Amino acid sequence: MSVTIETKALTKRYGDRAVVNALDLRIESGSIFGFLGPNGSGKSTTIKMLCGLVSPTSGSASVDGHDVVRDGDGVRLAIGYMSQSFSLYGDLTVDQNLEFYGRAYALDPASRERRKREMAELTGVERFADQQARTLSGGWKQRLALASALLHDPQVLFLDEPTAGIDPVARRDLWDLLFKLAGDGRTLFVTTHSMDEAERCTRVGYIYDGDLIAQGTLEELRSLPGVNAPGTVRYFVRADRVMTAFARARSLPYVRDVTIFGRDLHLVVSSDVDPKRLESDLAEAHVSIVERIEPSLEDVFVALTRARTDVA
Amino acid sequence: MRRPFDLRGFGAVLYKELIHVVHDPTTLVLALALPLLQLLIFGYAINTRVEHIGTAYLDEDHGQIAVRVLDALRASQDFNLVYAAGSREQLHELIVADKVKIAIDVPPNFSADVIAGRPAQLQVLIDGSDSSIADVALASASSIGAALSAQLDPRMSVVPQLIDVRPRTLFNPSLRSANFLVPGLIGVIMQIITIFLTALAIVGERERGTLDQLLVTPIGSTGLMLGKIVPYAAIGFVDFLGVFAAMLFIFKVPIAGSALLLLVLAIGFLLAALGLGLLVSSVARSQLQAMLMTMGIMLPSILLSGFFFERDAMPWIMQLLGYAIPLTYFLEILRGIILRGAGLAELWPSVTAMLSLGLFLVIVASVRFARTTS
Repeated sequence: MSVTIETKALTKRYGDRAVVNALDLRIESGSIFGFLGPNGSGKSTTIKMLCGLVSPTSGSASVDGHDVVRDGDGVRLAIGYMSQSFSLYGDLTVDQNLEFYGRAYALDPASRERRKREMAELTGVERFADQQARTLSGGWKQRLALASALLHDPQVLFLDEPTAGIDPVARRDLWDLLFKLAGDGRTLFVTTHSMDEAERCTRVGYIYDGDLIAQGTLEELRSLPGVNAPGTVRYFVRADRVMTAFARARSLPYVRDVTIFGRDLHLVVSSDVDPKRLESDLAEAHVSIVERIEPSLEDVFVALTRARTDVA
Repeated sequence: MRRPFDLRGFGAVLYKELIHVVHDPTTLVLALALPLLQLLIFGYAINTRVEHIGTAYLDEDHGQIAVRVLDALRASQDFNLVYAAGSREQLHELIVADKVKIAIDVPPNFSADVIAGRPAQLQVLIDGSDSSIADVALASASSIGAALSAQLDPRMSVVPQLIDVRPRTLFNPSLRSANFLVPGLIGVIMQIITIFLTALAIVGERERGTLDQLLVTPIGSTGLMLGKIVPYAAIGFVDFLGVFAAMLFIFKVPIAGSALLLLVLAIGFLLAALGLGLLVSSVARSQLQAMLMTMGIMLPSILLSGFFFERDAMPWIMQLLGYAIPLTYFLEILRGIILRGAGLAELWPSVTAMLSLGLFLVIVASVRFARTTS
């Protein structure tokens, strides 16, 4: 597998603060890379450095073989970028927005028409061709942005929280589209907050306060030592009185960690404790299920973030 | 890192900006109608009072009465005798070249005539371009003549006076303040409109979050800037034509020089004003900042460019600041062409300075822009 995006000790400082600190990434061609982290952890700054919008303080990065500092033009032609907020022109129609980006990438009139038609069909925005972009719903705006970003047929796509603020159906449709693009051999770099989205990515990286804490496939992340402390196992607990179960579980000496997921709890428990004992200790919360589980991606990041903040 | 002076994407940006303009008819109407409205309001409203008017004199008499007249002029707050001319031709040239506003000619045998009790004429040439200066000069010269007459011969009644002040107004014989103010207003209004439009055009893009999306395309920094300002330069030029027509047909200010030359130089001035606007937009992070910076440029421009106050009467530091303002030069050009019938032969220093300043501003803005967008 060839590598499409590679960074070496990529760093951005504003004054004394390292927003992105010595980032090392290797992203393979044709994969979807999910980039996760809390707000303000350096996700957008990383994307902006890779797109040539922000120059790195130190370190290096290359995208599709082009150095982001020395060969900005090469990078610009190789990538498509969809920013966090809607960044097309609301007063221009769908077709005019596409026309503008076609011209911006200096496509000749014939291929401009062809690419506009193809991308409008692919994303489904062709039926709104003469409608002003601001009148579209959130999901359709994102599809239009995607169509604009794809006009020049880039091999790499950067998507900064593409599904923020759109409804679940539109979100699923957009992801189907992203899988299709990756299936065609494109490399996708996607930031997201949503764990279920991250679980659909080929590989995932987690950035916290400028540091890349972990990266790998879901399997690799689940087996990280920091996620499963030695001598512990994870239990899934369903209880009618979830808050009672939460409070009770926290008071038990052999329970290391408790996280609430709706009506359920995830517990990290010493491996020498019998599940029967756990069930009886939580009886007053009307427990219905106690089950051993593998950590979810969210468990992974909760564990990694806690380990991090405990050190600090 | 983006290269400066990269013209790619000019056509694409121009295409998009033209659609913005067409899609926003309210702004377009405002941008075209406001200058005219402002001209009408200010053109009728503004009036000024002046002192220390630059004056040249020619003493062809060399008599004692001539000395008394010149001393009286020197003592007055209104005149500032800066040149002693050697001939009537030189006296006239000093006025045409705008070195002085007033020229006083003491004719031969002036003292002899006065001493002999014969009324003697004192010639006063007045540059009527600025009607307020002309008014003051006229009144002041007449009262000095009357006062001296009374001192020399108390028996003489008010008319005829011994010293007969004969004023002759050049360039704007009807002494209308509109003739002086309206050409200046054209420059001021054009600067307001163009700076605002360009300053907001790029900052607006930054604020709406659409700039990043533009900057990941191969559009060049200069292509982006030019594509954004050409529509506004066109609006600015239409504004110029509008207020220029209003000056000719509503305020009835005649144009003494070449209208064509003025049109060409107006384009040069637009370049300089757009350069200032671009500089603002390359520094400002929000539209509010851009507005405040524009205000910060506008007020000194109006005060220091010579639109209201004679630049000669300002402290040297203020005069120096005025040289950094494109409007200063354009005002000299406007008044020179419209009122005094000046051509390139007289105006070339202002023209060269204005064009160089404009080019300088555009280059600085372009380099700054290339840097801030990388």
